[in-house]
Amino acid sequence: MKSILKELKLKDGNIGACAGPDDWYEDPKARAADSINPTSGDPIAKVIQTTEKTYDQVLETAAKAFKTWRMTPAPKRGLIIRDLREAVQEKKEVLGDLVTLEMGKIRPEGHGEVQEMIDICDFALGLSRQLYGLTMHSERPAHRMYEQWHPLGAVGVVTAFNFPVAVWSWNAAIAAACGDTTVWKPSSDTPLTAIAVQHIANQVMGDHGLKGIFNLVVGRGSVVGDRMINDSRLPLISFTGSTRMGRRVSEAVARRFGRTILELGGNNAIIVTEDADLEMAVRTILFGAVGTAGQRCTSTRRIIMHKSIASELTNRILRAYQQVRIGDPLEDGVLMGPLVTESAVEDMVAALEKAQEQGGEILKGGKRLPDLGERFVEPTIVKMPRQTEIVHIETFAPILYLMEYDDFEEAIRMHNEVPQGLSSSVFTTDLLKSEKFLSHEGSDCGIANVNIGTSGAEIGGAFGGEKETGGGRESGSDAWKAYMRRQTNTINWSKELPLAQGIKFGE
Amino acid sequence: MTEPLVSSDMEIEDLVLKFPKSVRFLTRNGIRCIRCGEPLWCTLGELLEEENVEDPQALIHKLNNFLREQERKR
Repeated sequence: MKSILKELKLKDGNIGACAGPDDWYEDPKARAADSINPTSGDPIAKVIQTTEKTYDQVLETAAKAFKTWRMTPAPKRGLIIRDLREAVQEKKEVLGDLVTLEMGKIRPEGHGEVQEMIDICDFALGLSRQLYGLTMHSERPAHRMYEQWHPLGAVGVVTAFNFPVAVWSWNAAIAAACGDTTVWKPSSDTPLTAIAVQHIANQVMGDHGLKGIFNLVVGRGSVVGDRMINDSRLPLISFTGSTRMGRRVSEAVARRFGRTILELGGNNAIIVTEDADLEMAVRTILFGAVGTAGQRCTSTRRIIMHKSIASELTNRILRAYQQVRIGDPLEDGVLMGPLVTESAVEDMVAALEKAQEQGGEILKGGKRLPDLGERFVEPTIVKMPRQTEIVHIETFAPILYLMEYDDFEEAIRMHNEVPQGLSSSVFTTDLLKSEKFLSHEGSDCGIANVNIGTSGAEIGGAFGGEKETGGGRESGSDAWKAYMRRQTNTINWSKELPLAQGIKFGE
Repeated sequence: MTEPLVSSDMEIEDLVLKFPKSVRFLTRNGIRCIRCGEPLWCTLGELLEEENVEDPQALIHKLNNFLREQERKR
């Protein structure tokens, strides 16, 4: 553990407010909080929390840096992102290990998350030469109309514990290409990973004589988070977290006419039709439901299966769950680590109690594993007689609800019945069913897949969902537009002054 | 009189860190204070008010009793 911390410049005590290599801000009044290893329950290191004073220092630096960063040509900004990519690549293994150590996902997933940082930097580098606006034909003679995209400002980025580095990079790399600076509040459960990333970003900023492009404010949601959402110096808040918190963020930011990108809860289902390739479906379900211990926004939480294959699919899933080795996520061969906190375990236990009250039958799992540690649980499969209240709720834990359907219309209805709308999937070999699932009357989610699961999105597509998932889009495709302001320009190169719509006014 | 372990002005972030068992108690009473694995950014009192709990003080009193009972069991 010590070697991981040392290689990432982490100490026993770390400052949580930073705007550049020489801009770590410390307030003697600040309190320190421990970062806890979820596997052992032991503290890893301390982090000094951001106070009102150090928050303002960071914000001032970020706002000042924006003024010069926005005037740096976008392709030049791209080159700095390329350097960030190289710096992350150099630390890929150790940073991935830290993700595993602090958050509890298994090592291949920790490393995969860092790869996602590298991928989005590649995307942002290309994007820096493709911030295209449209040209329109004016209705007036000798006039030209076009639109251009301007940088927006300092962007507030609030991330969750489950993807402690990737979600930052989705936002920070794209925002940097767009000419924005970012101010990052990571989850209070994963502050060390954030500080490690800040050290890497500082190295890149330092190499280019920059500061204030990538900024960090570690602290409580009720302190730092609330300050950010009410701060008009942050014209955009990108928030990843729960629907409940997203509503609060959305209301606060809207009150000051700011913008939000909301990536909120999911309740993701896979429909398995009677003609599906069950072997493929089972492998996908296992990864979707058990991967990251069911703590992904895109984790598979519901299986809606045709009644004719329900028994066989259930048996196959049960067999697949037997191969899941639970333990220290840093160990080779372990497929599931701990939940992030003891309260997450309590949340899972409470959900299972409710599921049983509502007619659910636990087919596998459902127990804590105290011999492994306070935060270890068995991945759990619950057969539900119908889609009851608890199934409509997202529980951030490895609980998989199994339900049956008679006809495909019913399956889609059940699928869309929940309030969330993030990710979805159908396993079928029937072209008509797959097309229906992807059609206007099919899945109502932001992500809809055929014969691949609900989790494990690539960075190239826009990531996000509908309904209570918040409607925001991050990462690839044209998600960059949310980080810029659109300006429509009309240029008159004639010696006349015609008005639009042919209006005559005076001479 | 015993000093209460939790009070209405306690931040949820503190509550779930110090007393994880409170998550289960509150869920049983229809209140979810952990969402997406993260605690809500508010105090216990604010949460109970938002959830339209009729008598928040009575529920907090019960929560204190529950937590004391849990501590005795340990």
